[in-house]
Amino acid sequence: MNTFFLLSLILVALSVGSAASNYHENLHLQPLPPSNLLASFNFKSNTTQSSFEKQHFQYFPRALGQILQHANTRELHLRFTSGRWDSESWGSRPWNGAKEGGTGVELWAWIEAPDDETAFSKWITLTQSLSGLFCASLNFIDSTRTTQPVVSFDPAGDHSPSENLHLLHGTLPGEVVCTENLTPFLKLLPCKGKAGVASLLDGHKLFDAAWQSMSIDVRPVCSGPEECLVQVDQTVDIVLDIERSKRPRGNPIPRPIPGDKLVCDTSKSYHTRDTCYPLEQTAEQGWSITELFGRSISGSCPLTDSESSNEDAVCLHISPVREVRSSPDSVETKWTNDFTRCFSLPPSIPFDLTVPEQASAAHVPLDQPVLHAERTIVGHGQERGGMRIIFNNPSNEKSVDFIYFETLPWFLRPYIHTLQATMTGPDGIRRQVPTSEIIKETFYRPGVDRERGTQLELALSLPPASTVTLTYDFEKAILRYTEYPPDANRGFNVAPAVIKVDAPQTGRPIYLRTTSLLLPLPTPDFSMPYNVIILTSTVIALAFGSIFNLLVRRFVTADEAVALRAQTFRGRIGGKIVALRDRIRGKSSKVE
Amino acid sequence: MPVDRRKAAVFGGALALRLLLLLLFPSLPDLLTGRVEVSTPVTSFKRLQEGLFLYNRNASPYDGGVFHQAPLLLPIFSLLPNAQEYPFPTALFYSLVDLLNASALVTISDSAQAVSGRLYSSVRKQIKWDGVVVAAWFLFNPFTIATCLGRSTAVFTTTGILYALSAAVQGQNLNSMLALGFASYLSIYPALLFIPLVLLCYDRRAQRSNITPSTALFVVKHFAVFLLSIAGLLGISLLIIGDLFALISATYGFQLLVPDLTPNIGLWWYFFIEIFDSFRDFFLGVFWLHLTAYAGSLTVRLRRQPLFVVTSLLGIFAVFKPYPSISDASLYFALLPLYRHIFPLMRYTFFSVSALLYASLLGPAFYHLWIYAGSGNANFFYAITLVWSLGLSLVIADTIFAALRDEWEQENPDQRGRPVKQV
Repeated sequence: MNTFFLLSLILVALSVGSAASNYHENLHLQPLPPSNLLASFNFKSNTTQSSFEKQHFQYFPRALGQILQHANTRELHLRFTSGRWDSESWGSRPWNGAKEGGTGVELWAWIEAPDDETAFSKWITLTQSLSGLFCASLNFIDSTRTTQPVVSFDPAGDHSPSENLHLLHGTLPGEVVCTENLTPFLKLLPCKGKAGVASLLDGHKLFDAAWQSMSIDVRPVCSGPEECLVQVDQTVDIVLDIERSKRPRGNPIPRPIPGDKLVCDTSKSYHTRDTCYPLEQTAEQGWSITELFGRSISGSCPLTDSESSNEDAVCLHISPVREVRSSPDSVETKWTNDFTRCFSLPPSIPFDLTVPEQASAAHVPLDQPVLHAERTIVGHGQERGGMRIIFNNPSNEKSVDFIYFETLPWFLRPYIHTLQATMTGPDGIRRQVPTSEIIKETFYRPGVDRERGTQLELALSLPPASTVTLTYDFEKAILRYTEYPPDANRGFNVAPAVIKVDAPQTGRPIYLRTTSLLLPLPTPDFSMPYNVIILTSTVIALAFGSIFNLLVRRFVTADEAVALRAQTFRGRIGGKIVALRDRIRGKSSKVE
Repeated sequence: MPVDRRKAAVFGGALALRLLLLLLFPSLPDLLTGRVEVSTPVTSFKRLQEGLFLYNRNASPYDGGVFHQAPLLLPIFSLLPNAQEYPFPTALFYSLVDLLNASALVTISDSAQAVSGRLYSSVRKQIKWDGVVVAAWFLFNPFTIATCLGRSTAVFTTTGILYALSAAVQGQNLNSMLALGFASYLSIYPALLFIPLVLLCYDRRAQRSNITPSTALFVVKHFAVFLLSIAGLLGISLLIIGDLFALISATYGFQLLVPDLTPNIGLWWYFFIEIFDSFRDFFLGVFWLHLTAYAGSLTVRLRRQPLFVVTSLLGIFAVFKPYPSISDASLYFALLPLYRHIFPLMRYTFFSVSALLYASLLGPAFYHLWIYAGSGNANFFYAITLVWSLGLSLVIADTIFAALRDEWEQENPDQRGRPVKQV
């Protein structure tokens, strides 16, 4: 996966070197075990800072540019992700995790503002505007979902030190990423997805993937004190299941392999004509772009800056012995001492790439991730629970230093004093260790009910070949009944944790994200607010009534009470008679 | 001074029982700490530990949604060893606090203020339990034991209230006001006890010196002492925390506005979960007004028995407080045996005791059904809290009836034992 990095470095170098408005796009394909394909789309456009400030947009999307200017945003990172990257079979993440977000929507930005309040109001402006632009519920990123991470994110662009920048970070773990987010995403591209590699992006295939991540990064890139570019970098990374994607859209139901096409293990004792122990597929599956994406690339985007950078429009990271057939008009370049082959796109002619089925060939070696992380909620019941985070350092030599960052919603109240660490070393013995042995630094900002969420950043150091489990307890708050969503018993989404691993050898940190969690909360009975109000009020009225009844009345003996009552009864009757008589008299006098 | 052997046996037995329970069931304190019946958001020991954790790391414990208890508890508890690793010292500390409370109860009982004060002396004053029996009722009450083992910080409020009472019956008016100031500082609501307590102090003063000081001046003076004691404690807290506004809004603001709706045995939580948003503030006001309404009216009607007014008010608080727990009930049940002489006049003893037993046995079961088993919903536990509140308010109303009847019989000795009516 280092290739990715090399590639992006070269691209950056190219774009910075030219120091002018330009646009570049490419597609990178890589088969992943067991039968998946990673497709990485990258679209990069630049504009000079001066023309950006004059609102002269050429390749830079105007809609986005105006929002950024209005919200004083100097650097923006927006992610739409769904699914889970299976690092155990697929190795380390594309772009070293720098271009992916947690499940749902993740947004972080550096905003220039004199103080925190102004920054926050600009942030709200930004989220509201982006919400409209991307048809996502970004406007639900309020103060309870916004944090200001201290050490987890570094600016990717070149900012002048005189700027007073504020980093704000927000997540929407429950957001379902779908076609309505892809359409505005494609609209930002110069070719609007009509030509170039973006013509492959189709909601049906993209959101059917095992894992997909769309990203938008806007950052200033400076090569000199006055030579600055504003760069917008859009990526789409998807992992397709080859077999699933090859099913025709009209007949998507998977069917068993017919009996005569099964490859059976004949060494089994029970192997007969009608019992078969199927062998695993040894051959590498064949595929083509048209089969997987349902369409071919409709020629190159004419707005890409020059012929030279069109060379690597479509790259394939595959074993050199594997046969690859491309459309005749494209030019193939093999990169030396690498597994990468690149193809240029012919203008306005459909382009397809076919990799036929082939008996087992040498696999492309996968980079192993530097750290495995897993985060789960433990415990049962709707009252309290615990968070368990497992870190595993696969390396036998090097220890790993990293930052663990999580934001928790306010209705999940962690008890940070219960934070405990257990470590399983290379000897396989599990033991309790003091947290100070692993945690070097802690940044903790407890949540406030209905105002802000909890923010926890831990700087950890993991010794070689060890597994560390962190646990802490939390309590689940019960909410007011109007604060529950309509599907209250489904539970509430908790944002994934972000892990930043320092990688001094490459310069840029590696990011990992855990999966998002589902938190069931205790629920009241939604059907009976009236009953509750009435019943509680009744109990209060009973107590109040009986006590005040005692307080305001005086005691008499039972005999006296009878006498009193009799008297009052007689008196009442008498009074009524008198009143009646008076009325009759009054009437008669009136008549007279 | 001769050691009272009965007293020593009761106190020693209570201490031994608490430590034995801890020894036999080491997980019991944590279990009880987690129970909603024992720990409320304003008294929970776990929340105290979280606040302590932040305090010991120089972070503000009030800059978060977890800790809402008085800041003075923090330096006190940071002296104790960590309760997670060494549970014994904390348990011993809480048991000793319980014994202190019991000894205050013995003082109150021995003063016989419950049966005869300055303005009133019951005709049944020979029917009474002595101090040791009253202390035993308190110390061996399962609610008290659960509160003690659950390490609820409500016990310190209990201490403040009981010491205010015991100082008042001994004529130490200044100490009484200081203790009430301490209790009010810890959890705001004891301030409502000021009126009956100052009357109790006044009666004792008048009884002792035979010259009656000016009532208004006496009340104003003591109110000043009471306010000064709270102000002094807040001043010390300010030295500990620094940010007065954050402190006040996180502790007293929290108790007044009830933002945390964690289930408890009271009536507020479910009501404020289900109430329509536009009426929330109105009903918050109504509920507080209702709670404060009792203080004045009871004091006026039962002017001759200020100690009984305090007892009844504590019972009412145990039902209608925003965050009640069984520790409030245990304080009420601790003072109730002082009124042994009016028990024969109560009418619904069987019914109310059954309701309370029913609620205390079924409450945990229904809570389990709702939260853990999932086979019941919130209404199960809510219904039980209704029964509990009903049972407790029945006891309160019944004792008030009995006390009033007792007063009436003292006024009309010839009518003693005859059936009565209220008109």
